[in-house]
This record gives sequence, structure tokens and C-alpha cells, in this order.
Amino acid sequence: MDIILAITVGGLYAAGIYMMLRRSVVKLLIGLGLLSHAANLLIFTAGGVIRGRVPVVPAGEMQPLETIADPLPQALILTAIVISFAVLAFALVLIYRTCQTLGTDDLDQLKATDT
Amino acid sequence: MFLWLWVILIAAGLAPGVSRMVGSRGGWLLALVPAGVAVCLLQQWPAVVNQQNVSAAVDWVPSLHLMVSLRLDGLSLLFGLLVTGIGALVLVYAGAYLKGDERLGRLWMFLLLFMAAMLGVVLADNLLTLFIFWELTSITSYLLIGFNSDRPESRASALQALLVTGGGGLLLLPGLLLLGFAGQSFEISELLNHADQIQQHAFYGPMLVLILLGAFTKSAQFPFHFWLPDAMAAPTPISAYLHSATMVKAGVYLVARLHPVLGGTAEWFWMIAPIGTATMVLGAVLALRATDLKQILAYATISVLGTLMMLLGIGTEATLTAALVLLVAHALYKGGLFMMAGAVDHAVHQRDIRLLGGLRSVMPATCGAALLAGISMAGILPTFGFIAKETWYEAVGSQASVPYLVASVLSNIGLVAAAGMVCITPFFGRQTDAAQQAHEGGPALWGPPVVLGIAGFCLGLLPGPFSELLAAGSTAIAGQDVSVKLKLWHGVNAALLLSLLTLAGGFLLYWQRHRLAGVITATDRFMPWGPAGAYRWLLKSVNQLARGQTAILQNGYLRYYLLMMVGLTVFSVWMALGGELSSHLDPMPFDFRIHEVMLAGLILMSAVVAVRAKTWLLSVGALGIAGYAVAGIFVLFGAPDLAMTQFVIETLTVFLFVMAFSRLPDFRRLSSVHTRRRDALIAVVAGGTITMLLLFAMTVRSDHPISAYYAAHSVPEAHGRNVVNVILVDFRALDTLGEITVLSIAAIGVYSLLMLRPAARPGSTDSSGNEADDSSRGSAQRGN
Amino acid sequence: MSAQVAVILPIALPLATMAVLVLAWKSIPAQKIIGVGGSTLLLISAAALWWQVDRNDILVLQVGNWPAPFGITLVADRLSAIMVLLAGLMVFAVSVYSLVTIDDRRVEFGFHPLVQLLLMGVCGAFLTGDLFNLYVWFEVMLIASFVLLTLGGERGQLEGAIKYVTLNLISSAVFLAAIGVIYAATGTLNMADLALKLRSFPDEGIVSVLAMLFLIAFGTKAAVFPLFFWLPASYHTPPVAVSAIFAGLLTKVGVYSLIRTFTLMFVTDLDFTHNLLLLIAGLTMVTGVLGAMAQSEIRRILSFHIVSQIGYMLMGLALFTPLALAGSVFYIIHHIVVKTNLFLIGGVVERHCGTGRLAETGGLSGSAPVLATLFFLSAMSLAGIPPLSGFFAKLTLIQGGLEAERYAIVAAALGVSLLTMFSMTKIWAEVFWKPAPEEALPEACGEPHSMTDRFSLYGPILLLATFTVGIGLMAGPVMKASLATARQLLDQDAYIQAVLPNSRLPESEAGAADSNADVGPLAGQRPAAQESPQSPRGGTVE
Repeated sequence: MDIILAITVGGLYAAGIYMMLRRSVVKLLIGLGLLSHAANLLIFTAGGVIRGRVPVVPAGEMQPLETIADPLPQALILTAIVISFAVLAFALVLIYRTCQTLGTDDLDQLKATDT
Repeated sequence: MFLWLWVILIAAGLAPGVSRMVGSRGGWLLALVPAGVAVCLLQQWPAVVNQQNVSAAVDWVPSLHLMVSLRLDGLSLLFGLLVTGIGALVLVYAGAYLKGDERLGRLWMFLLLFMAAMLGVVLADNLLTLFIFWELTSITSYLLIGFNSDRPESRASALQALLVTGGGGLLLLPGLLLLGFAGQSFEISELLNHADQIQQHAFYGPMLVLILLGAFTKSAQFPFHFWLPDAMAAPTPISAYLHSATMVKAGVYLVARLHPVLGGTAEWFWMIAPIGTATMVLGAVLALRATDLKQILAYATISVLGTLMMLLGIGTEATLTAALVLLVAHALYKGGLFMMAGAVDHAVHQRDIRLLGGLRSVMPATCGAALLAGISMAGILPTFGFIAKETWYEAVGSQASVPYLVASVLSNIGLVAAAGMVCITPFFGRQTDAAQQAHEGGPALWGPPVVLGIAGFCLGLLPGPFSELLAAGSTAIAGQDVSVKLKLWHGVNAALLLSLLTLAGGFLLYWQRHRLAGVITATDRFMPWGPAGAYRWLLKSVNQLARGQTAILQNGYLRYYLLMMVGLTVFSVWMALGGELSSHLDPMPFDFRIHEVMLAGLILMSAVVAVRAKTWLLSVGALGIAGYAVAGIFVLFGAPDLAMTQFVIETLTVFLFVMAFSRLPDFRRLSSVHTRRRDALIAVVAGGTITMLLLFAMTVRSDHPISAYYAAHSVPEAHGRNVVNVILVDFRALDTLGEITVLSIAAIGVYSLLMLRPAARPGSTDSSGNEADDSSRGSAQRGN
Repeated sequence: MSAQVAVILPIALPLATMAVLVLAWKSIPAQKIIGVGGSTLLLISAAALWWQVDRNDILVLQVGNWPAPFGITLVADRLSAIMVLLAGLMVFAVSVYSLVTIDDRRVEFGFHPLVQLLLMGVCGAFLTGDLFNLYVWFEVMLIASFVLLTLGGERGQLEGAIKYVTLNLISSAVFLAAIGVIYAATGTLNMADLALKLRSFPDEGIVSVLAMLFLIAFGTKAAVFPLFFWLPASYHTPPVAVSAIFAGLLTKVGVYSLIRTFTLMFVTDLDFTHNLLLLIAGLTMVTGVLGAMAQSEIRRILSFHIVSQIGYMLMGLALFTPLALAGSVFYIIHHIVVKTNLFLIGGVVERHCGTGRLAETGGLSGSAPVLATLFFLSAMSLAGIPPLSGFFAKLTLIQGGLEAERYAIVAAALGVSLLTMFSMTKIWAEVFWKPAPEEALPEACGEPHSMTDRFSLYGPILLLATFTVGIGLMAGPVMKASLATARQLLDQDAYIQAVLPNSRLPESEAGAADSNADVGPLAGQRPAAQESPQSPRGGTVE
């Protein structure tokens, strides 16, 4: 299953990167979204996947009875999901406001601050 | 010794106040400070001539070998007296020159700052201390050249001088460092004992080149001489002080100072003597071309600086002494001549010798000063200039180096003619229109040059007592005892005959100078090809390069920036992996179930749909489906908490997209097919790289992750059964704190973006603002 | 105990200040007072932390008392403490400066709380000893900077922010991926533990890949070549106070992270990693300064100089000798103070002339002599003129470079410093020397009238200018502290031992730590000095 997940992660990255290279700001944003899915799935896959095996200690026990899924990547991803959502939401409003202020959704028109 | 520097610095701090309270006569007051320091220096005379060197040191940065160590020997004392003595006169002179100008205080301040820096250069024993003072002279010189800052040519000249001398300084620094490393000490007095070791060292060649380049730029040697004439844009007191008497001699000083350490080799001779000779001749020739009083003097200065370098480069005892004598003579007469030129400029507002004449009757005192200095410059009995020239001819002649002797005589002929051009032309002959309105300035304007002129005569008539200081100075340069016996009259010898020849040639040249006009105009067209032209070309091309490079790199297209990042990442990953990849990718077990594969396929398919969609709604929808499918993967592999969160977040995201972009038109096709193919290729390569990397990482996966600890301690110590939650709220609670902080900042950001606008247009957008804010608040609750 | 409090305070204080600020959200005067007060407290606590670290060496706080490497560890060594102290100083100066320069509308929308949270992120990044926690602090810092950058919603701000946000998010994504891979490979996130595990890691290829990923992630935040594009695109758009704090602190968090990871974790393959860093350092210096030369607006010029100077900071890291590394530390100290100050001064110039475009300014050396003096001091310090702080920073790096026999980078550093001087004198000549243009606008804001306003505007500038002179004159002690910092950074074992007291240290194979730490600067060459890489200058000029 590792291989298939790895390919999926690569595909998500490719799609995200392609979308970010477009000129439309909305595509840029969708690309960011795809990229954050990809990063989460990457951590998940890299940490090692085991079917089932929820990392919960059964009631009455002091330790899990069998091998469980690695809980740490899950915790990391949880944090990362929330952070990337917050950032994405901000970016979304930023882009919304930019489109509104500048009257365009074409990134190639946004060069005034560089040159 | 530190006290001397501090006193001058304090005086610099007080200078603006003095100018406000006392006015232009404050120059006399301020001059007391350097005069006092000069007296203190004189008190050390007996000790110094008896080879008892005075020194003082304070640690500054020991780990960088930087110690503020000062040392007074014959050479330093000689320079110190010039710096403070002429400095005192210049302060008085400047007061009269800028009388009534509100910037006078600033001029005095800069002059005193420069004086402290220059005194530091000649007193420093530590190489780095010397460098620090050296740089300070460059900076103060920059400020002083640009003193008339409202004139564009002043600013350009100041910059040019700074870039040339500062650039030289930046070569000097590594040169001095290499010297220190090679000699295992940064104290010059210490390095004297290691001269052999240093000259054998592999660094000797590079360090010599670097140090000499520093010295050559500072002392305006060919081909770096061009900054000095342009520096004449500065007010005349500055030209008199920095650009003839002191700062430009710093390079000469450095070469003299390091002669016992680095000198005496063939490299030394061949690097210095030819450059010095070329500068000497070139300066004399260019002086004859010029028509501006200060320009003539500047080129004549260049010529003398070249001579000094040549004498130091030849490096026998006699030439070293001759260099020292010439240096003193030059400082006295050239300082005076510049002040004279300033007085003329001040009175007539004209410096072009073609428009000056007959000033003798209206400015008798200035005329007297000019003649006193001019006689010394031409090297006529009984001045110190005469002694200087005699010693010089004798020293070069005794080496039987005919080319150098011929060059010396030729350049001196030019200088005699130049002396005539600056000292005779303006004052004698027919009175020009400009000269008629002129009148003599105050004693502060003509006094200082007269004092310098008289000093030149006194030293010429009574060189005896001065000899012992010169001997101490020559000893410092030669690195061994040198005795000097100066006499005004040596009897009739070869040197005297050469002197007579020089004078005769000079007078002839002056007499017939109008015949040179044709030659001069003929050479005019070569001037743009000179070093000054090279400087301008270099400056222009560096600026063009800068603009070109920046236009390419910082081009404003976000997608190129992204492309660069992605490309670099892919490239560096492959570079780091190198050829090791194949050996690692063992065939992995194909262990999968059909629903898992379908889920993964769904993710990939929705990614493709998101990319290919023609409307943003479809694209966003596909993004959402991909998110849900990722949540599905989480469920299958033991992460239900993750799946829940992902599900909620994904829903919110899609909702936000719809809210924000509901009024947006469909996607337009903005890129060409070619661009899209290229981007697709890059994206696929990048994705493939990530896949490879991931597979690679899994082959080296650690067997003992720290998470085993969490499973074991979750219940007994943290009292929670859901290990993921325990990690979030207990083991790694700080992460969660940060996460919540991020959420709340994002909420502030969304709020301010929607509500705070530069040109307020109330009403129209309020509703969407509230909704966006609500949604992020909703997610904040989940975060908790 | 008090030592441990000192470690957490720089993170906790801004949070507490923020909480108080939120309670007083509606009152603008209260926002200002609390904002400055909080910054003052942060400065004091940072000073206390430095004092503690100077006495006790490395301070370690295991958050929640979970033993390392299982919980999150906060570590304050000399480098962290210096960085936190500088952050405290900068936020203090900028808070005071912001009192007059930030308009009430921006205060109303949370300027002061955002600054505090930005500092929380910055200090957290300096103090954490955990890689994922570092990511979290990065994100706190980034989102706070996003909001500060866009606060006000002006056209230029929005345009610049899109690039800033996008490129930084990409680097975060790379960072996150790198964390995923490094956890998979080593099973740990604690940096000391990682250092230990990577030391004996069987597979060199994956370590190199990880080094590259972190280099790209942190390199983007540090704005190195060729990842700096976000910086010049955005730093000149927000209000000056925001630009100033960004200029002083944000890129330095990236540099700090590079120094931390490339002295602690990725030290097994110095030939590859540190030679690459040296190449990047040279290219960053040169492209940055050329970028600055092409600009004609004060803040744009200064922004490109940030890039150029990041190159100097990396130079010391790449040379990897005690002296060179001390040079990096010294350079960071110098740069943060001077660069922030130059932005603050640029802000006053913009108030005087109504614009920062050089062509439309002029005449300030006559009309504002004090400002002129302060600018000249700071500008010359930036150009490395003695006896100001910049000279000693440059001198240390050059001595380090010569000792390591890396002549190409020394040549680049010297050449770039000449060009830096060129572009500083360009500002000086245009803004201060040149007469004011004829059609000059009537003064936009001019001098503030009340005494307190003048103090708030000039006080911070004066303070920071005093520092740049002071660091120069007191270069001895500062250099001593920098050298101690460098030696501590090179002594990885001490760091690991402090964080993981029970760890068994295998014989250090890298050898960089022990063999170099005690060698005097004169002899302090890198153990395996290689032939220098291809000339960093030649590469770009072509």
C-alpha cells in the first residue's frame, strides 16, 4: 500500500504545483489547497501506515494490547491541518480583496511592487 | 598619546558651537588645539632622536588581533608635526575663507575629525588600528570633497574619491591581514624582527600587491591619479590640507613605514619605482596642460607623490632620506600655494590663469606668499625646496640609474614651469578685468601661507637642527641607523649642475608655454581613454549589470519565482541523492486492497479534474472531493480523529471558496499551450521526485520511534486513552498553543482585511466580512 | 527554577500582553501604552535570559516535565539568548516608534496585539529545541507577519502580500514534508536527539536530501539566492514600523534556523553541505547588492541590502571555523540593529519629503542635520566603515575566510562591501546632499510638534544609532561573546548532553566539534579544508 500512497502523494503535489504555476489567482489558491492535502498525506505515509489499529488504549488497560498506528504523525497532521486551514482562509480573503481592489484575477498584472 | 587624539576629537565636537558663539575668528581658538598637540610632539623630540620610542597601547578586540597601539618614532613625529602644524594654520585660514558661512562650524568639525584620523594613521603601530584610521581619513575626505553638496560635480567627485580610495582600502585590508598572518603579529614594531620570514612566506607576493594597491590609490599614483584633480571641487582649505599636505601622503607613509618589513626585494623595486616614475612624469605633463590654478597644483602634487614613491621604491639609504626631505619641503610649499590659490579665488572668484594677471598691486601680501612658496617649488636657493632637489638628484644619481635621473630632471623642468604658471602669471603682467575689483583679504587669509613660506626659507637656511629628526625618520624607514647631514651649499657638483639645467629648462618652458597650446589640443582627444574614462565606464557598466540582472531575477512574475523554487528543490534533491537511488529501491510488497486503491484513485482523479476544470466551481468541488478522499484514507489506516477534522475543515474550505468567488467569471485560458506543457512537465517531475523521496524514506524508516513512549505513558501518567489527543493536549501542548494562536491571528487578519480599507466604501462588503469571520471562529472552536 | 522561568518568559510575555491588549481592544491610548509596556517587559526578560545563559551555559526547559525527546524541549543557548535579546530590543524600539507613525485605524484593528504575537512566534522559534515545534512557531510568525503586512489594505500591500504569502507557504510545505521524512527516518523530532541519530545514520543519501530540504525551507525564510524574491516584492509596502521589524527580525529567524540545523544536525558531510552553503552565500551577497544598486527608492534599496547581508551571515556558517562562525553571530547582531534603524530613518525621511523616491527627495542635510548624522552613522556602519559595528563584523568574517583559505568568498565579501558603500552614498547624496527638488511637495507631515511625539520618533533611532557606535567601540566584549557562542555551537556534544542528560554519546565522527573548539583563531582551519568551490562571484556576474 505504501507504493500506492506514495504515488498518490506525488500526484497531489504535481497537481498542486501545476495549479500554482497558472496565472489565475483562484487556481493559485486551489493549488495551495491541493498542496496542503499532499503534505498531510506525505507525513501520514512516511510515518508508516497500519490498517485499523486506532491509537487508543482500551478501557481498563494501561497500555495498548497490540501494535497501534503511530500516534505522533497523526498529532502532527492534526496541528498542520488546522494551521494550513487558517493560513488558507487568510490567503483566500487576501486574494478576494486583491481581486476586488485591483479588478483583475491575472497574476501577471500584479507586478507593480517588484519593478 | 591617546590624549592627543582625544583632545582633537573633543575640539571637533565643540567646533560647531565655537562657530556659533565666536564666529570666524574661532579658528584661532580651535587652532590652539593642534598647536598644543604639536608642542607636545616637539617635547618628544629629544627622546625620539635618541631612538627612545614612545608608545602606548590599549586592547580593543584581542581575538581579532586588534589593539590600539600607538608608537612615536622619527617618521611618526615628522608626519605628526606636519599634520598638526599645517592643521592649525588651515583652521585659521578656513575661518577667514568661509567667513559668515553658516557651514563653517561643520567644516571645522570635519577638518578636526580628519586631523585626528590622520594623526592616528601616522601614530598607529598595530596594522588594524592603522587601517581603521586610514578608512576614517577616506570617509572624512568624502565628506569634505562633497562639502559644496549642492553642486552635482562636488557630489560626483566625492563619490569618485571614495570609491577609488575606499576600494583601495578594501584591498589593503586583506593585504594587511596576510602580512599579520605571515609575520605572526599585527604590531609593526614586532614585524620588523620577522622581515626575512615574511619575505620568504608564500603570502609575500599577494600581500605586497594588495598593500601597494591600497597605497597607490590613496596617494594618487598612476593609473589611480584621476580622483585627485577632481577632488579640487572641495573648498580650498581642504585641498591645501588633505589633498596636498597630508592625506595623499598616507600612501607614501605606509610604503615608507613598511619598507623595513617588506622592502629591499626585487619585487618591491619593480612594483614601486616604475609606477612612481610614471606618475611623476605624467603629473608634470598634465600640470602644464591645466589652466585652473588648483588643477595645476593638483597635478604638480601628483608628480611629487610619484617622485616620493619612486625614491622609496629605489630604496637606498640616500633615496629614503631624499624622500623624507622632499616630503617636508613639498608639504610646506604646496600647502602655502593652495592657500594662496584660495585667497585669489576668494578675492577674484576666478581661478583660470588665462583670465588672471596683475594681481601684485591689489594683493601684495598674497603675492609675497606665492613667491615664497614658488621659489621653494622651483627649487631655488636658499629654500628647503632647493635642498630637497639637491638631495634627490644626488641620491638617484649615485645609483647610476640613468633613466630615473633623466625622468626626474624632466619632471622637475615641468614643475618649474608650473611654479611659474601659478606664482608669476596671476600676479604680474597686464591687470585683467577680473583682477581690477579684487582686494586683499584679511591676515588670516594671507598669514598662513606666508608662515609656511617663511618656514621653507628658515629650514633652507638652517637645516642643521632639523637633520637629526630627519635622521631619526630615515632610520625608521631604512630599518637601520642612518645619519643625515643637510647643508644648503654643497659646493659645485653634478647635482648643482643638474639643478641649474632644470631651472634653465623650466624657465625656457615657462617662457615659451604658449607654443605648447597646439600640442595640448592635439592630445585632448586621448583624454576620454584615460583611467578617468575607465572609471566612468566601469561605474556605468556595473550599474547596467545591476539593472539587467535585477530585471531578469526580480521580474515581478510570481510563477517564475515559484518555478525557481520548485526547480531548485527538485534539482537539489536529485543532486543530494546522486547515484544511490537504484540500490535502495528494493521491490516492495504489493499488499493492497481494492477499496484502498479506489480511494487513492479517487484522490488522483479529483486532482486531475481540479486541474482541468473550466469553471472554478468544478475545480473547487474536485478539491473538496480530494480532501474527503484523503479523510477516507485516514479512516482506513487508524486515524479517525484526523478524518473527522479533515472532513470538517474541507467542508469549511469549500464553503469559503464559494462565498468568496461566487461572483467570479469562469476561468479564462491565460497561458499558451507551450507554457502549459512545460509547467505540466515540471509539475510531474516534481511530483515524481516527491514519490521517489517518500519511497526512499520508507526504506530507511526508523524501528524505534519515540511514539512508543506515548503509547506506554498515555494512560498511567497523562490519564487519557486516546493517544493522539493526549499528545496534543499534554505531551506536545505547546504545539497546540501555537496552533490556536495561528487561528486567532488568521481571524484578526480576515477581519482587518475585510473591514479596514484605505478608501472606505461602507455597506457593500459588510455581509461577506461577517460570514468569513464566523467561519474562522467556528474552526477556532474545533481547534480548542 | 528562575532560570527555567527565564526560558519560557519570552514566549509567555507576548501572549500575556496580547491577552491584556484584547481586553482593552476599544481604547487606542490603552493599546499604545500596553503595547509599549509589553515590549519593555519582553526586553527586560530577554536581558534576564541572556544574563542567565551567560552564567549557566545552556538552559533547558522540558515543557510539561515530559523528559526529552518525548515532550517539547525549550533550549536557550548563547545563540538563542542573543537572538531573543535582539528581538526584545527591536520590538521595544519599533513599538515606541510606532506610537506616532502608525495611524489610529491600524491600532484599532490590532496592530499592537499582532506585533506581540509576531514576537511570540519569533522568540518561540529561537527557543524551541523541537523541529515540529519550530514549524509551529514559524507559522505563528508567518501568519502574524501576513496580517501585519496587509493591515491597512492598500493596493501595494495587497500585491506584495500575494507574493510574500505564496512563496512562504511553499517553503512551509517543504519544511513540513522534510519533517515528515526526517521523522520517518529517525523516529524523533527533538533536535538534540536528531543530532545524535543523524550522526550514526547509515544512509548518507537521505541525510543529504534532508539537508537540502531544510536548506530550501529555511533558505526561503532567510531570503537567500535564488529564493529571495518575496522580500524585495513586499518589504517596502507596509507602514515603516512594520517594514522595520520585518527587516530586523524575520529573515534572521531563517538564518538562525540554518545556523542551528547546520551546526547541530547536518555536520556529517561538510564537503557537500557547507561548500554548497558557501556558494549560496557568495551568490546571495552579489545578487542582493546588485539588486540594491538598481533601485531608486530608499526602502527598496534597503530591502535588497537585507538579501545581500544574509550572504555574509551564511558565509561564516559555511566556513565553519570558530572565528568565522563568530563572525556570523557578530554580523547578525550588527545587522539587526543597523538595518532596523535604517528603515526607521527611512520612515522619517518619507515623512519629511512625502516620498521615499530618491529623485523627489533632497536637502535634508541642511534642514535635518541630526537625522543626517544618524543616517550617516548607520549607513557607514552598514557599509562596514570603522569604528562602527559593521566593520568588526566584516573584519571577523574576512579574517575567518583568509584563515580558512577561501579566497574567492573573501574577494566577494570585499567587493560587495564596496558596492554597499556605493549604494549607501547614493542615498546619502540624493536625500541629504542634493538640494531639495524645485517642485517639492509641501512637507507631508514634517516634524511632529509635541515633545513626546518627537521623542517617540527620534528616541528609537538615537537608541539604535548609539548601539551601532557602542558595538563598535565595545567590539572586544561583543566579539568575546560571539566567539563563545560560536564555540558553543560547534560543541554539539554539550548541546546534546544538556538536552538529553542520559544519552550515551558515540565517539564523534564529525570531529568538527572537539578538534576546533579550543584551537586559537590563528590556527583555526577547518579540519578537512577542500579546494575552494568555483568562484561565487564569477558565477553571477556572467
